Amino acid sequence: MKLDNDNHVLTRRIAPGLAVVLIAIVSIGLMIVDDAGEKLSPVRDVLSVMAQPIEMAAEWPGQTLDTLDRYFDRGALLRENERLRQNNLLLQGRLQRLAALEAENERIRALLASASVLDQNVLIARIMSVSPDPYRQYVKLNKGSTDGVFVGQALIDAHGIMGQVTDVTPLGSRAILISDPNNGVPVEVNRTGLQTIAQGTGHAETLTLPFLPNNADVKVGDLLVSSGLGGRYPADYPVARITSVRHRPGGEFLDVGAAPAAELERGREALLVWNTPEPGPAAKNTPSPADGLSGESDEAEADRP
Amino acid sequence: MIVGVRISALMMIATLAAALVLTLVPVPPAIASARPAFYTITVLFWVMNQPDRFGLLAAWLAGLMIDVIYGTPLAEHGLAMAVAAYGMIKIREWLWGLPLIQQTIFVAPVLLIYEFVLFWIDGVAGLDVNPWYRWLPVVSSTLLWPAWAYLLERIARAETRHTG
Repeated sequence: MKLDNDNHVLTRRIAPGLAVVLIAIVSIGLMIVDDAGEKLSPVRDVLSVMAQPIEMAAEWPGQTLDTLDRYFDRGALLRENERLRQNNLLLQGRLQRLAALEAENERIRALLASASVLDQNVLIARIMSVSPDPYRQYVKLNKGSTDGVFVGQALIDAHGIMGQVTDVTPLGSRAILISDPNNGVPVEVNRTGLQTIAQGTGHAETLTLPFLPNNADVKVGDLLVSSGLGGRYPADYPVARITSVRHRPGGEFLDVGAAPAAELERGREALLVWNTPEPGPAAKNTPSPADGLSGESDEAEADRP
Repeated sequence: MIVGVRISALMMIATLAAALVLTLVPVPPAIASARPAFYTITVLFWVMNQPDRFGLLAAWLAGLMIDVIYGTPLAEHGLAMAVAAYGMIKIREWLWGLPLIQQTIFVAPVLLIYEFVLFWIDGVAGLDVNPWYRWLPVVSSTLLWPAWAYLLERIARAETRHTG
């Protein structure tokens, strides 16, 4: 074996044992700094721009197959068109009723002198990829800061809340899903107004509700909607439906499982929502059940920092 | 084994990029948890094959790319990659003389070290990630090693033939 030593790498000059210790120290330092805040985001930005072509290349086969599929299967297109048409009619019908309800709601809110809910702006984003790491639940989106996406923005799909944006680069963003073990959504039980938190489990099909006392009024089939506390997620969107309620003998809390309403690992598109209505100062005077808890909303929110 | 033959940095980067694409291509979840770590074994192969060109620092930088793509704390995979590369540096002089199949036996513990460092950091970070299938990529990557090393060796040899 011959080694030319004219082209030195750092590790040729110092012993590998020492080098690996140095690298370990630097790495641990980086992890701590990265965990503490945004200080390293320029480094991340530079590296993620370098990684962009690779990620696009990885997406390419799936997307091409999709396009080819659509191109060749005219029958499926026609069927899909028919289904969408029917769906549209159905939704239009519901929307008419909704418009009336919204107007009524507005009037009642005016009577209560509470802050009115603004129209919500949305942006359709394409889901570029789901997490390749089986232990973290997130999606990558093709809309970034150039489209006005910001950290903390809520992500929904046609059925409910999906998650929130955690990283934004100029051309893309990453959103953590509600099923990530690090994510919690402040919710209320639609039937009773009971407030609690839905916590991710790492599986796309299950959330848990770890903070419900034994005497809480919850039943299988109850719909959980976002309560809007914490100010991250918009209020009143479906989050999940309760699938199991188990009472552990001797335990202080119920063992409650729920299935997310949104199609977390199946959808191709998602909506980014602007305007997360927070309880305004005027809302403090209203005797709504949400107000009793609004002071605790900061602690109530178990979001990832 | 053609250790010491210098292949261009461009070629190494190209193989790493290709391996990274293979690591990221979406596949059904059942396959995804057992997918071989193409990128990791490519890095380890170059650590073994290019002792004076691809060292610890290069392995660490390669790991940082994974951190950025996965969104993990910066340097988590970097550290794992550097530690695994160190293991590879310690044993590579034996590996040079061995046929590919026998190399595999020695590569398995290095891959295990890589996965263990990640497991350990996740544990310290308080992530509850301890399913048994976490260790599947170690098995699949080990099984892939002979074929993958053979392929990379052919690429290295082809390039040196062209450039003389």
